[in-house]
Amino acid sequence: MIKFTAVIAAFALFAAPALAAPDPGAVSLEGTVKIARTVTVDGVEKVVVEEPKVVVPGDKLLFATRYANKGTEAIANFVVTNPVPSAVIVADESAQDADVSVDGGKTFGPLAKLQVKDEAGAPRAAKASDITHMRWTIAAIPPGGSGVVEYHAIVR
Amino acid sequence: MNHARISFAISALALAQALSVQAAHAAGVTAGTLIQNTASATYGTGPATTTISSNTVTIKVDELLDVAVSSLDGGAVPLASGTAILKYRVDNSGNGSEAFTITVNPAVSGNGFDAEVQTIAIDSNGNGTYEPGVDTVITNGGATAALAADGFATVFVVVTLPAGTADAATSQVRLTAQAVTGSGTPGTSFAGQGEGGGDAVVGATTANANASGSLIASAATLALTKSFAVVDPFGGSKTVPGAVVTFTIQAAATGSGTVENLHIIDAIPAGTAYVLNSVKLDGSALTDATDGDAGVASASGIDVTIGSLAGGSARTVTFQTTIN
Repeated sequence: MIKFTAVIAAFALFAAPALAAPDPGAVSLEGTVKIARTVTVDGVEKVVVEEPKVVVPGDKLLFATRYANKGTEAIANFVVTNPVPSAVIVADESAQDADVSVDGGKTFGPLAKLQVKDEAGAPRAAKASDITHMRWTIAAIPPGGSGVVEYHAIVR
Repeated sequence: MNHARISFAISALALAQALSVQAAHAAGVTAGTLIQNTASATYGTGPATTTISSNTVTIKVDELLDVAVSSLDGGAVPLASGTAILKYRVDNSGNGSEAFTITVNPAVSGNGFDAEVQTIAIDSNGNGTYEPGVDTVITNGGATAALAADGFATVFVVVTLPAGTADAATSQVRLTAQAVTGSGTPGTSFAGQGEGGGDAVVGATTANANASGSLIASAATLALTKSFAVVDPFGGSKTVPGAVVTFTIQAAATGSGTVENLHIIDAIPAGTAYVLNSVKLDGSALTDATDGDAGVASASGIDVTIGSLAGGSARTVTFQTTIN
């Protein structure tokens, strides 16, 4: 028994360098913010995403985070967490797209399953305006792989 | 232990976020607020977990220029011979501190009369009551002080009734407020002029709004009716020497207003002599002397002070003379 433990310990010591964290520089994470405006062209409404030159309450912003695996090894269990700035409310459509937190990032889940306390302290179903954090989980990023996670939010 | 500390730090952050959300203005995030977004990512498992952070993107919230104006009067304000005060409320419905020019137009299409604007004043102490000498007087076309986002000012407009206005005529007085930074088509922007260093952008209200207060004229018209009766020394009614003539002057006011400073004055007709102490007001005798009562009389004429006479009421003065 003792011997077996020692073997495991030895294996762990040996294995640790092999499981060493990939070089932090191997993965890049780049955030951008754009503004999404609904414009009517020839009577047809369409959404134009552009650089935010002027931002006022009610505007819809698009927060995007681009990730890329620049290393030579696959990245597993890649979890992107994005605290939602207090000056914005996550748009309803984005609130359904990701796991969210309404308690400052302690717990995450689909918005429909989360609750918050109302002013009287009674629990109520969480709303998009309660979201404090967005979270996306990407199971694996192959070497050279990349992607974007994004959410729309409306300036309060 | 270390882990526990970290989670405490996160929940404290969440609390701060929740509080700042509740404190947000109804009109939106205050101009100049910075919205900063930073994502983080973890990958790997167990001791091999790596955490990385993205760059932080920052955008500044620009100033939205919006305004709302309402009349605070419950209905048409009566305007008699004195002054009337119209009350308006100017709301800064934008998200930054902003001053507004105030323009008062008493000549609104459809008016029965156009009131004369005497004074425009901003309620300086917020008590909702016009106080001459206390509230801040501005010129027509002048500006309010800067109003905080979601703040408001109460504006008083003191008006007078033009002479000759018919009783019960109505009038509208329009107050227009316009953002000092600028106004116009929604979306018009003024680079670098927003509070907090950003741009200022005209909102849905065009940063220009107005409301009208209503006035109803309360005027009175005076009618004087004079008659006389003669009693001769022989018991008849002939105008012979020695006959006594009783003059009756009725002053009747009509309308919803009041006639002010009314005196009834009459001269003693030539060829007659005033009968001393014969002046009566509504049947009550008045002395000729300048004294406590309302009447003064002499050989040349009479003067009875009525003062205010409300519409619908009448006073009657009589005096006597003898034919020479």
